[in-house]
Order: sequence, then structure tokens, then C-alpha cells
Amino acid sequence: MWLPLLVSCFYVVAFSLWTVGLSFTRSSLLPDYSWTGWHNYSAILASRNWQIAYTNLYIYGIGFVGLATLVGLMLAILMDQRIRGETAFRTIFLAPIAISFVVTGTVWGWLFNPTIGLQKLAHDIGWASFHLNWTVDRDMAIYAIVVAAVWHGAGFAMALFLAGLRSVDSDLLKAAQIDGAGAWRTYTRVILPGLGPIFVAVLVMLLQFAIKTYDLVVALTAGGPGLASTLPAVVVYDFMFQRGELGRGSAAAVMLLASLAVVLVPYAAWSIWRNRRATLA
Amino acid sequence: MRPAAAQAKPKVTVISQWSSGSDGAAITALGKEFESEGGIWEHNPVPGFTDDMMNKLRAQIIAGDPPAASQLKGPEIAAWSKVGAVVDLDDQVKAAGFESKVSAELARQCKPAGHWIALPIQAYRVNTMFVSKKAADRVGMTALPKTWAEFNTLAEKMQAAGIVPIANGGLKWDDCMKWDVSLIGISVDAYRKAVMRLDDEALRGPEVLAAFRQLRRLADWSDPGASGQHYSVFIPRFMKGEIGILLMAGWAEGLYKRGGFDPTNYIAGPTPQDDGRVAFDLNADCFIMWSKKQPEFQEGQELLAKIVMRREFGPMYSQITGSLPVRTDVDLSAPGFTEAQREAARAMVEAVKTDRLVLALSHNMAQNNAMTAAMVDVMAEYAHDRRVTPEEGQKRLVAAVATAL
Repeated sequence: MWLPLLVSCFYVVAFSLWTVGLSFTRSSLLPDYSWTGWHNYSAILASRNWQIAYTNLYIYGIGFVGLATLVGLMLAILMDQRIRGETAFRTIFLAPIAISFVVTGTVWGWLFNPTIGLQKLAHDIGWASFHLNWTVDRDMAIYAIVVAAVWHGAGFAMALFLAGLRSVDSDLLKAAQIDGAGAWRTYTRVILPGLGPIFVAVLVMLLQFAIKTYDLVVALTAGGPGLASTLPAVVVYDFMFQRGELGRGSAAAVMLLASLAVVLVPYAAWSIWRNRRATLA
Repeated sequence: MRPAAAQAKPKVTVISQWSSGSDGAAITALGKEFESEGGIWEHNPVPGFTDDMMNKLRAQIIAGDPPAASQLKGPEIAAWSKVGAVVDLDDQVKAAGFESKVSAELARQCKPAGHWIALPIQAYRVNTMFVSKKAADRVGMTALPKTWAEFNTLAEKMQAAGIVPIANGGLKWDDCMKWDVSLIGISVDAYRKAVMRLDDEALRGPEVLAAFRQLRRLADWSDPGASGQHYSVFIPRFMKGEIGILLMAGWAEGLYKRGGFDPTNYIAGPTPQDDGRVAFDLNADCFIMWSKKQPEFQEGQELLAKIVMRREFGPMYSQITGSLPVRTDVDLSAPGFTEAQREAARAMVEAVKTDRLVLALSHNMAQNNAMTAAMVDVMAEYAHDRRVTPEEGQKRLVAAVATAL
């Protein structure tokens, strides 16, 4: 059993360490092992691509994870009402996740395009004051990406929440019913608190979707009007391969990993500490 | 001499990004010519953008099995020749008398260390302008504008007549290309110093500032709905007269032909030059030969070089792609060429003679990919953000160049 474990650990850890190593070298087209210190990091931090991408990551990350969780939860609660045709609805809501990011981005790009998309449709049916030109507006382009990503990922969150809702102990539900709790109370006091682990699972899955978003950006806005909707994964690819600057691309990738670690490592530590307290108690 | 029976056929493995369209057709035709001369032709196109092909090339070089020839251009020839062993083509070039027939700038790029390692196969004029015939008739334009001032007047007339003056897809290199031709039109000398030599004083100078101002005008005259689309999306509207001017290199003609539009629908010519003299902004594709140990590959490379340097090769290849042959001594009177191509070829010969041929920044000819990308990003941001003033744009350009150096 330990051999596959060893191989997979090595696979993840060794290559990541190699990228970290590359980020301190002067690699351009091919790896080159001459030490250059923090130069790559300062160059990346000084570039507008990275600064815009990093801000966008926060907007996109919070927007996508928050909205997808919310929409997924709403859909799951609605689906939980024992409606007819539940399988059909579940398939419909889960279908977007089966569509690749490239197709999602391309079609949403057409929808958002003011001259051929939703704005034109609204104008054609007479609603002349409707404006939806987010993809050509520097300040709104990133939100267009959030919308497309939420459409894509909400179904996934819904599926997880639905499974969680269904797995709540029916004795608890019956007890709540006997005590006279209405639907709202039942949900907020009995069911949702029991969904804690599911929430964490959904958040982690959506967060890693958000971090690795590359093809959605390229397909939807090609980086936005100018650089307005670029994300760190796009910047990493751009520096590593399009510009042939492996060293700087690696530095960008390491900084992305570091910003994730800053969030996840304290959470993991707190989780372990909490479990240890629970077992001690 | 080796006995004929033991001689293997000359073979060549080629990778490029030309998998479809007129480029794909042209390289297939080259392959057929190679095979008709007794060689084995193996072309593995990598569809997508140039970086996909570069990634494949990098992987093959690291694995120790590079292709016999690959597409490459600009300063990347010098950069890549340091990572993989290349073939010295000096003897063949001298035998064919090729060097005197191509522009010195192009020769310089193909000889980064003083020896020929790559061969140019086609050239394009980037500072080309197409005006829709229907739009021109509506505003009463009789001749193409010769200076940027005349151009601006024409664009204003078009806007007043309800025509979108400039077609702009919104792709980053498209934005930078408009800045390139603005600066070349203002001063070829300033372009050389600022863009090709990255001279700090020129980058901070008044010509560069004027180019930023012109780019702002061009951006304002573009379709506000343009959002990161390829310029080809706008060709039907351009032909109908809804969009007036398309600032694009000669390859656009290949797209017009495929779209079924003939040359009577547009008027083509060079972009405005304020000093009235001819200038040529060059974009050229080359084949670089990678060193191979097997004799059949070496012979294949020799055969490929021979075919590509021939006088007849240029017209054959360029009629299919809409490009210009790189040799200055070819005859373009065949009906496969359009009048616009002939005019551009004449411009190239004259620009070579008067030393007014420059390399296109936005097409990775003037600088390597890293520097180009840094400068293109500045132009793309500037073109799409009205809040950035021309002065601020110039400052950002200077900063971007300093960081990428």
C-alpha cells in the first residue's frame, strides 16, 4: 500500500519543490540553474499583470465561491421539497458542470457581447434602456467571469448540498415537527447546522475551481479589455510559456501557492487543534 | 559519391502552427514540391497559437529529437538557437546568392551569430490600410489619406455619416499594431530608436507621445462593442460599408478571398506617412534548421533550403497565403497576386533601398517575446481605458521596458 502513496506524494511534492527552485533561477526558455535571488519575485510583484490579477482573484474568489454556495444551497433546498420530476431537474441543474470551461466561456462571451448578445436581444424586443456590456467595461469584466463560473459550478454545489440534506436523520425532523417548528425554523436550526462538513467540502472544491481558472478567462474575455479580467493562472501561463520566462512564471505560481497556504494552513492547524480538544474532552 | 542504391531519400520533419486555411494549403503545396524532387515530407502542424508550437518544439529539443526544420521568426531565432544546436547554412546561401536578394534586417535576424541558421519564406507588410469601397463612396473619399491629419479628417467624416470609422477586434496585438503604425507614420527614425533599440530618450520623446495620442483617437473611433474578438469577425460589416477602415497587414486579403469578397470591395494602400516617403513595417516567417545526425535528415535540410531559396518558390507560396516573396527580384505579374500585393512588394523594394524598413513590434519581430508582451500589455490597457492619458501611457511604456530588460 505504501508504494503508490509514496509515488503520489513524491509526484506532488517533488515537482512543486522543483518549481520553487526554478523561481529563484534565471530560467527563460529552458530551465537554467543560475541563482538570481528574489529578482523574479520583485519583477512579478512590480508588473501590472500580477497586481490586477491578484485583486481580481479576491473579487472572483469571493464572488464565485459565495454565490455558487448560495445558489447551490437554494436550489438544493428547493429540490428537497419532494417535487415531481426531481430527477429531470437535477439533471438540468447538474448539466453545466459537464460542459468544459472553454465552451462555457465562448457561449457566455457571445451572450455578454453588446452587439450580438443579451443586450441586442433586449433592444430588439423593445427594451431599449437595457445595458449589459460587462465584457467591454474594464470595471465589470471580472463580474462577467463570476457569472459564467457560478452558472457552471452551482449545480455541483447543489448536488453536494442535496445529498447532505437528504442524509439528515429523519428522527430529528420528526422531533422538530412534533415540537411545532415551521419549515424555516426546521431548516435554520436543525438541518443547516448539521451540514457543516458539507459546507467545508463545497467550499474547498469551489475554491480550487476558482484558483485554477484559466480557460474560462481566455475563452470569455481573453484577459478582458486590456488586462482588466486577468487571473493569476493566466499570468503564470503567460509568463512561463508565451513570454518564455520560466523563472518569473514559477515565481508567480509560488506566490499563488503561498497565498493559498496562508489561508489553508492556519485552518488546518485550527482543525487539528479542535479535534485534539474534542478527543481530550 | 555514395552508391545510389544505398542512399536514403532526403527526409525532413517539419513543425509549424499552419494547420489550416491558406497557410495550411501553402505548406502542403511546399510539401508536394519537396516530394516531387524525391524527398520524404513529414509535416506535423500544431494547431493553435504560436506558443503551442513553441511548447512542442521545446519538448522535442529537451528530448534530444528536434524536428529537421521548424517555423520561427524574429529575435526568437537568436534566443532559440542558444538552446538547441542549429545547422550552419552559410555555404548554401552563398551558392544560391541569396543574401543580396533579401533585406538586410531580415538577413540580420537569420544570422544572429554571423552565420545563416534560418531562411525567410514569406513577408508581410504590417503598415497596410484597407478602406471599404462602399464607405469611401458614402463620404466622397477619392484618394487614400497620405498623412495622419488627412486620416483623422476622413475618420471624422465617416463618423459623422454614421459609419464606424475603425474596425478593431480588441485583441492585444491588434491594439499594439495600431500604435506601431502610428509611430512609423509619425517618424520611422523614432520607431527604430524607441522600439527596435529601446533607447530611453526616444521612448520618452515627443514622437512616442504623439503616437499614443493617435492611438487614443483610433481607439475612440472603434466599435464600442468590440470585446476581444478577432478582426475577421468584422470583415462582413466592413465589406458592407458599416465599418470604414481596417488597419491590418496584408494577410487580411487571404481572409477576404476565403470570405468570397473580391478586391473591388476595398481600396488598399500603405498607412499614412507624415513625411510622405515610403516605409515598410516587416513581419516575416522563417524556417530554422535544427542539427540532426542522420544523413537523410541532413540531405532533406539541404533540399528544403534549395527549394526555399529559389526564385520560383516565393510566387508559388505567396499566391496561396497572400504574403510577399522575400526576394526583391521576383516577378509578381501572375494573376494569382492582387494589385495590393504588387504595390506592397514595390514598397518593400524601395524601403530596402532607402533603408526605411523596420520590424513589427506587435508581431514579435522587433523584440523577443518577453519584451514584446510587456509593451503590448501597456498598449492593450491604454487602448481600452480612456482614463489613461497619453502621458501616463508613455510613462507606463518606459516602466514596462525597464522591468522587462
